[in-house]
Amino acid sequence: MFRRFAPVLAALLVLTACATRPSEDPAAAPETDGAFPVTVAAPGAPAVTLERKPERIVSLSPSATETLYALGAGPQVVAVDSASTYPEQAPKTALSGLSPDPEAIAAYRPDLVVVYADDSGLADTLATTGTATLVMPDARTLDDAFAQFAALGTATGHQAEGESLARQAKDDIDKIVADTPKRQLSYYWEVDQTLYSTTSATFVGQLLSRFGLTNIADGDDPSASGGYPQLSAERILQANPDLIFLADTKCCGQDASTVAARPGWSTLTAVQAGHVVSLDDDIASRWSPRVVELTRAVSDAIAKSGA
Amino acid sequence: MPDTRTRLRAPVLLIGLLVLVAVLVSAVLAGASDLGWQRVLAEMWAQVTGGQSPLSAREAAIVWQLRVPRVLLAAIVGAALAVSGATFQGVFRNPLADPYLLGAAAGAGMAATLVVVLAPAVTGWMVGPLPLAAFAGAIGGVGLSWLVGRSAGSGTNTLLLAGVAVASFLTAIQTFAQQLNTQTIRQVYTWMLGGLNVSGWREVALAVPYVSVAAVVLCLSARLLDVLTLGDAEAASLGLRPGRIRLVVLAAASLATAAAVSVSGLIGFVGIVVPHVVRMLAGASYRVVIPLSLVGGAAFLVLADQLARTIMPGELPLGVVTAFTGAPFFAWILRSSRRRVS
Amino acid sequence: MTALSLHSVRSGYGDEPVVHGVSAEVPTGGWLAIVGPNGAGKSTVLKTVAGLLRAQGEVRIDGRARLSRKDLSRIVGYAPQDPELPAGLTVTDYVLLGRTPHLGLLARESRHDLSIVDEVLERLDLSALAGRRMDMLSGGERQRAVLARVLAQRASLLLLDEPTTGLDLGHAQALLELIDRLRHEDGITVVSTLHDLTFAAQYADQVLLLDGGRAVAAGTPAEVLTAEALAAHYGATAEVSTTGRGELAVLPTRPDGPEGVSRRTGPSSAVPEN
Repeated sequence: MFRRFAPVLAALLVLTACATRPSEDPAAAPETDGAFPVTVAAPGAPAVTLERKPERIVSLSPSATETLYALGAGPQVVAVDSASTYPEQAPKTALSGLSPDPEAIAAYRPDLVVVYADDSGLADTLATTGTATLVMPDARTLDDAFAQFAALGTATGHQAEGESLARQAKDDIDKIVADTPKRQLSYYWEVDQTLYSTTSATFVGQLLSRFGLTNIADGDDPSASGGYPQLSAERILQANPDLIFLADTKCCGQDASTVAARPGWSTLTAVQAGHVVSLDDDIASRWSPRVVELTRAVSDAIAKSGA
Repeated sequence: MPDTRTRLRAPVLLIGLLVLVAVLVSAVLAGASDLGWQRVLAEMWAQVTGGQSPLSAREAAIVWQLRVPRVLLAAIVGAALAVSGATFQGVFRNPLADPYLLGAAAGAGMAATLVVVLAPAVTGWMVGPLPLAAFAGAIGGVGLSWLVGRSAGSGTNTLLLAGVAVASFLTAIQTFAQQLNTQTIRQVYTWMLGGLNVSGWREVALAVPYVSVAAVVLCLSARLLDVLTLGDAEAASLGLRPGRIRLVVLAAASLATAAAVSVSGLIGFVGIVVPHVVRMLAGASYRVVIPLSLVGGAAFLVLADQLARTIMPGELPLGVVTAFTGAPFFAWILRSSRRRVS
Repeated sequence: MTALSLHSVRSGYGDEPVVHGVSAEVPTGGWLAIVGPNGAGKSTVLKTVAGLLRAQGEVRIDGRARLSRKDLSRIVGYAPQDPELPAGLTVTDYVLLGRTPHLGLLARESRHDLSIVDEVLERLDLSALAGRRMDMLSGGERQRAVLARVLAQRASLLLLDEPTTGLDLGHAQALLELIDRLRHEDGITVVSTLHDLTFAAQYADQVLLLDGGRAVAAGTPAEVLTAEALAAHYGATAEVSTTGRGELAVLPTRPDGPEGVSRRTGPSSAVPEN
């Protein structure tokens, strides 16, 4: 992986070295394309000012990694965390996104670090080495996700790509939703095989609400348990959802046959009619441009259910 | 001369069993779904008399595939943990002893974590490796404590310290393994909080043999446990081999604990509290405490699980419910017994 | 018949021997009191006879050496110095535990066992307390309960480690009288360690004085308990005299003050030079 990009990276480094002045020089001309310095912020996160275009990005957020590569900022990425599994050519390392280690991160000499949460003062620690930290938190709504595409675009010197990505994703999703037949269907979204689910108050839940689907995990208060309640088999059986979405196919090996083998689940109409949809765990849980693929998968499931 | 010795009297046992049956039936009639207890009762009657079932296939599945095995499993796990806790309290002559003392919890936790971390996709198998691993881990933890304790001496104190040491070591391995794959933290944590929400007849079949064997062995050994409370020196002078009795009794209790842990994760409180409540209500001889702990533990956990699955739309972790319901009850019993004595 | 015979017995805990080469003979129905300063090995000797410690040398009980644990438990009744008293058990439960040597591993107590317990409680005046919990007994009642358990074993050799611990003068006396009466009624042999030397002198037929794990004197109380022996082994000053009724009494006397002058005023209370 590194070998393919080393010459490109080297060229870029030479370019930026020529283009930038030492930071002590107050009259330093920033970037050749004039887009920097910029101040960006994801919705719900602090604003960060970047002096120049980042060329050594470390991404500790799998969603952000996908977005960065979709923006064309891949060449600027030097390291991604262990959970960033897409795209394949991303330089995966042993860095942890859950408990980031400032020293390990600093070893990659980044000028920009992207995380999905900063509760441990990582930004302050990294600032001492001159590294900016951009927080791209869990998107609450689709608009949050689109805003993040644009923000990452601007932050990495791909402002036009970022805005276009956001616009394209929004249009694609709107079109898919409009083209899908509206049916009054209920669904159960499975996060893992101990029956953890998501309610309609989550990012995924909101997306599915656009299709007019009802979530059986909502109960009286969708925001209970932070949107991720653990259901019981009994409740699921009683609710008898029309659609079952499995977001635990990769982590926990679940699919339509394992679901059918669970005690009592074979009596569910969704199981009997074959409306158990296996989703890629990552696509189902991230808020990257691949959310469009997720929307398409849901739309296909709804269309099939009528057939 | 009136019979002044402590023994399990028939009326007491009968009352206990009746309470247990009542608790079991009420637990099956109630549930997270609102089937209506009258319909469930009608369904059970229909099964007994061979009549027409009033429920649809799906609803019948709720009752027979989900509720009944889950309630039975709660009873089996509760009985196992309570009788095991009573045994540990007797062997170590310590009222704070619980079934996890000799590294059973640490061993099971470590094994479960290793399975989840190293082979996460495998945890979805129907013939779950997770229960098997937890079982093996629990037995392994106790076995290791026994070996370490024996090499250091022969008393209960060395055994206890060996258990502490082994538990710390296994927990350290578990924590280290967890760091290898932090994505699976939630799965491990959920398992450790204890719960019966993914249980069916398969889990019942897994647990029943071990718990039954252990229960029989411990009931037969109740009198010997009483003698053990005199201490090793006097027990030996009465012709017993304290070390050997300890081995058999701890092995049986650990078997029951391992079976319970393998199907329900780590549920605390039952093993400590139930034997004490039994002692306060019925007497301190193990002839009474052992059999009544089986009954009391079963009833307690069935009630706790009923609460865990009906009180909120989501599921409460069972370990949390046992602590919440057990602690105040225990405090109330303590206060009323103190008043009786003074 | 010699109930107990020790010959050059050496035993201890772990590698270090605590008792070196102790020998003694106790006839059936006799009472041997083992005395000595703290740490002399008195309890160790009892534990050795009870079979709880491995020993070199010979221990014969009723003429038999190397008895099995089972046989030993039916002949020897051992009451340690600090018995564990299970708090929740009733007195009847506790005494019933004494029947363990006569029961199979999984057997239940029979009517016969229960009647033995009743009888023992009767003899030790504990019948009224039969249903009382062990932790609700007074010191004297507790010691009697322990004795009752040992008697329920139907042991012919009683090993009692400081049976009068924690008892006041009256209760201690009562207990010792009881033991003496029992041994005469049933022909039981008693070996006890006794703290109080006067009691040892009054109740035992024979006394064995241990010091540093060795037997330094053995014989009748009068032979063993002398002022010289007490000074030499206990480092204590005492006077051994005979009461008006002809019983031996060990009377501690205060050591001399500075310059050999008695602490009390008056020449009549001066300590005689020995």
